[in-house]
Amino acid sequence: MTFRWSRWSPQLALVPAGLVTLVAFIGAILWTIYLSLTRSRRLPEYEIDWSEWGRQYERLFKDDAWMISLQNLIVLGLGSALAIVFGFILAAMIDREKRGESLFRTVFLYPLAISLIVTGAAWRWMFNPELGVEHFIHSIGLTWVNASWLARPETAMYGVILASVWQSAGFYMALMLAGLKSINSEIWSAARLDGVGLFKLYTEIIIPMMKFTFVTCAILLSLGVIKAYDVIVAMTNGGPGQSTYVPAYFTIQALSAKGNLGFASAAAVLMLVITAAVFLPLVLLTAWQQRRSGATR
Amino acid sequence: MNDMTASHKALGAEIAVRSAPYFPRKKKVITGRSIAVIVFLSICALFFCVPLYVVIVTSFKTMDQIREGAMFALPNVWTLEAWDHAWNSACSGTRCEGLKVGFWNSVAILIPSLILSIGLSIVTGYALALWNVKWAGPFLFILFICAFVPFQIIMFPLISMTASLKVYGSIWGVAIIHAILAMPVLTLIFRNYYKDIPQEIMSAAVMDSGSFWKIFFEIILPMSGNILIVVLILQITSVWNDYLIGVTFGGMGGQPMTVNLANLITISTGTVRYNDNMAAALLTAIPPLVIYFFVGKLFVQGITAGAIKG
Repeated sequence: MTFRWSRWSPQLALVPAGLVTLVAFIGAILWTIYLSLTRSRRLPEYEIDWSEWGRQYERLFKDDAWMISLQNLIVLGLGSALAIVFGFILAAMIDREKRGESLFRTVFLYPLAISLIVTGAAWRWMFNPELGVEHFIHSIGLTWVNASWLARPETAMYGVILASVWQSAGFYMALMLAGLKSINSEIWSAARLDGVGLFKLYTEIIIPMMKFTFVTCAILLSLGVIKAYDVIVAMTNGGPGQSTYVPAYFTIQALSAKGNLGFASAAAVLMLVITAAVFLPLVLLTAWQQRRSGATR
Repeated sequence: MNDMTASHKALGAEIAVRSAPYFPRKKKVITGRSIAVIVFLSICALFFCVPLYVVIVTSFKTMDQIREGAMFALPNVWTLEAWDHAWNSACSGTRCEGLKVGFWNSVAILIPSLILSIGLSIVTGYALALWNVKWAGPFLFILFICAFVPFQIIMFPLISMTASLKVYGSIWGVAIIHAILAMPVLTLIFRNYYKDIPQEIMSAAVMDSGSFWKIFFEIILPMSGNILIVVLILQITSVWNDYLIGVTFGGMGGQPMTVNLANLITISTGTVRYNDNMAAALLTAIPPLVIYFFVGKLFVQGITAGAIKG
């Protein structure tokens, strides 16, 4: 009899995780998709009027704040991509110049350990219009500089981008450094013998060799940008006006502040669609990588 | 391309051997280029340190000095007043009992969420990696997808479920949601770690009349020290730093520290006490920073494992 049990216990051990996946993930996603087709307002309604099932989605695309959110998503994505560029430059320099490697790594990575609410609090204070960095710059005579970015709708997103880059550049540096370390060290001496310039060496040999690392970074960055919520709350609360709305913020705002469940669900479904659009390449990439490593083995 | 690098390799090695006696110690030379690199890196390091510096000095200043506007100046008088204020009497919403409330809430959330999430995912990862279970492949694939699902799409259903289980708006609600959301990633991390265990060990253990649980507790758990520490650090920092789950599921009574901090800094009425805000920010940041400075390497391992899952 004990033999039987040992055959069944692995299956039984998977039951809790299976239930969680089935209920909290798959079930919940289907539930939200269903709600997005209804006219639910504060409380869920479960009747679908099939003649206008796309009503919430239509409303969404007529909503200025949602359109601003989508626009900001792209702006934030492009801006945060600087973190990858910056991360690569830092990694390349640390990798070439071994002196102080651990010190620099520690300094560049510490922002990653703290909450985005703390990061937001710090940068919100730096950007303070009366007492912040702007005041300092003006006091040394450069009165034409305006550095209180968060106070103006046109520049508020740049403030958010700066804080995000500050937070995450170290992470991309760590990934890039791991990528650089896996490159055969003889490439460097070979390139020196050939008289290849440093710039050419990086752009034509090293970066193409690291394309997997770059693609991984880009996908992780996109997923992070779609999820960006904390940093917006801490720095701008969506303002001034609605100038720093992003989809993650818009969706939660629609649910908690406006109490509009159907509408918020539609926005959440579109967030899922955007995530899937970014995520699909990742799945294909890992599948391809697995096949490649399988072939070389 | 491959041939080229191979020949370069050989050539490089040859040159290295030949030139070795002539330049016995050329490592010591500091070139102009490496000075430039170090200067550049130092400037970048400065950029990374400036916000921390500003936050620290502000938290020790008096409001009178802050109003003078010299953001980068050191405090005239170092005072712990703001720290005391932030810990004991800062307002979060309508309650003015300081961040200590949130601190203890965060601790109370952390402990059950760690036990639940790690307990659930280590067993799942072990079963998926080392036992022949049905549908292991599809299940792993679904977990992989779940790890990337945006929180917003499952938010309302989870609120309804926790409300009907009567845990919504409490520490338990937050802890359970943390455990659920961490499960896919942690399971994948454990599974990736266990799948490298040689099959021979498992066959020997099974032969030795080892049952599923016996093997787990007597063989697998004792050799999981490294991965457990990495996962523990990953979970501690991510639960501690979380805001979204805390604010959504904490209600009034179960708000973690980050929610208190966010309420404090986004307050728009009355005079803002920036020194309190910065002291509160530091208080929130200290636990993860301590972990980072002591076991930074494991922290980075956890973060990268959590992000790419091998």
